[in-house]
Amino acid sequence: MHHAYIDKFAYQDSPVHRLDSRVKFIVVLVFTAVVISLPRTSPGILAWYAVGPFTILVLGRIPLRFAFKHILMVSPFVLVLALSCPLYDKTPVTVAFGPFFWQTLLGWMRCFTILGKFIVTMLALIALVSTTRFSDLLTGLQKLGLPKLLIIQLGFLYRYIFVIIDRAHHILRARAGRKLRNLGFKVELKTTAAMLGSLLIRSLDTAEHINIAMQARGFNGSWRTISKLQIRCTDYIFAIVAASFLLALHFFVRPVLQ
Amino acid sequence: MHMANELLSVPVAAGTLAIAVAGLGFVCRRVRQIITSDKLALMGILGAFVFAAQMVNIQLPAMPGTSCHMVGAVLLAIILGPHAGAIVISSVVIIQCLIFQDGGLLALGCNIINMALVPSYLGYFLYKSVTAPVFSSLRVHIGAMLACVIAIEAGAILVPIEAALSGVLAVPFSTFLITMIGVHFLVGLVEGLITVAVLGYLQQLRPDVVVDFLPGKVRLSRKAVLITLVVFTIVIAAGLSLLASGMPDGLEWSYAERPDQPDFESIVSSDDSTIVAIDDFQSKYSLMPDYSIRTSRLGEAIEQEVETSAGWTSFAGVVGSAVTMAFIWLTARILRKKQPTEA
Repeated sequence: MHHAYIDKFAYQDSPVHRLDSRVKFIVVLVFTAVVISLPRTSPGILAWYAVGPFTILVLGRIPLRFAFKHILMVSPFVLVLALSCPLYDKTPVTVAFGPFFWQTLLGWMRCFTILGKFIVTMLALIALVSTTRFSDLLTGLQKLGLPKLLIIQLGFLYRYIFVIIDRAHHILRARAGRKLRNLGFKVELKTTAAMLGSLLIRSLDTAEHINIAMQARGFNGSWRTISKLQIRCTDYIFAIVAASFLLALHFFVRPVLQ
Repeated sequence: MHMANELLSVPVAAGTLAIAVAGLGFVCRRVRQIITSDKLALMGILGAFVFAAQMVNIQLPAMPGTSCHMVGAVLLAIILGPHAGAIVISSVVIIQCLIFQDGGLLALGCNIINMALVPSYLGYFLYKSVTAPVFSSLRVHIGAMLACVIAIEAGAILVPIEAALSGVLAVPFSTFLITMIGVHFLVGLVEGLITVAVLGYLQQLRPDVVVDFLPGKVRLSRKAVLITLVVFTIVIAAGLSLLASGMPDGLEWSYAERPDQPDFESIVSSDDSTIVAIDDFQSKYSLMPDYSIRTSRLGEAIEQEVETSAGWTSFAGVVGSAVTMAFIWLTARILRKKQPTEA
């Protein structure tokens, strides 16, 4: 396999990695909801909210460069929307930041708030995913009441994404090696369709083989894992710390900073 | 088309999440009835196939340098049937959110509705209603194209609606809507072409994999494509004119909202928000912006006095949080050095 696993850090070990996946998932969900409900025109306060996911990332030994690279990769859509804010909201405001203050538009404040919220919530999501093994996350989600069929589907999908993507890479390399110029839309379309079709047929064959292998081992539609989830003392401590962090920000920092 | 958290308010996010979970629960129950356990691996792998298929890009005509890829919702719905297709695409959207961080956690409900549930069911329904009476190559063309364009458009239209319901849009609703419709019309057309071509390929090699077979001959012929395009133009033109008469004109509407900005018209007339952004940057830096002159000196002085104290608190806040983060990072680093590093 030529590509690095995108969630390779989930297989490390740290106090954060050892936390229960359910607790982490709920904390991240609540955190995201709180950040989203913050006012839309004051980016300054977001810096304090960033402390939370930042701490988890540092404790979980996730390189920050990895996190920010990821955020940059998924940002284009949000970036376009954020940058179009200043065009439509032209109320002039004065911004003061320490010894400096300058005139700007309300739209710019909105733009920076959107970007800030995006970064903070993405950091939280990355902190969750890169400190939790996906199988643990799935078990946790199943305990939280997601349909079993969906969990099995997600498990299979996660297991075979990288296998099939590898095949797609082979096909793409073969095309790149044979095609030296643009062949016109019709031929390109035919080639692409043949690539996708053969990939699909190979996937179907693979699925059949896997199915036979799993039937031979007694698979009857239910998923058994050896990882036992249990909520321990540290999980309670983590939940309490997270809750008090959010409450403290809500009651002490927010009134001051607005 | 992946929505981010920031485009939603908490009530809308919670509502759409609830709808998505209910929808998925319903679909799961239906799939359980239809599908035996030996199809589970197949569904999982087809999800992985969708991921891989999105890496296979195709060069667009008339626009050298740009390429696009397929989304696959309608193709899967045609191959697997709408229920299984909806589950597979939903799982793809969930993995995109959790593993690849594409689309926010709170926006997951919206994304599942927009990209999985709506396209699968609507697409399948449209495809079936065209091809069910008489099966022919032309009908497959029209059906698949219609399914792709309309299903993708329907999902795309939901994005600005959800954002507008949340009340977070700074961009006028109609501009956003028209941009989304325009862009996704092209996306849908290409998706339709690829879907038809893949169906043609499958028909030659493995006609049995499609859930209710592909009788007859499906070929990518020039005549069929042309007729399809003509049918399309008529359908879309009719649809757009209906939409246009139902809604106030986007241009007029945004112009009327801002009588204080006479130059607003030229901005709105361009649909693409990137072009708008570039336009505005140019006009901003070439002309003297008038809002800084507008405020009187007296008002400014008062404003500054009020703002200075607020400025210091926000300064203290940001610096404080930065110091805290630096402190945490340093502590962790020092503690880590003492431990033997593993892996």
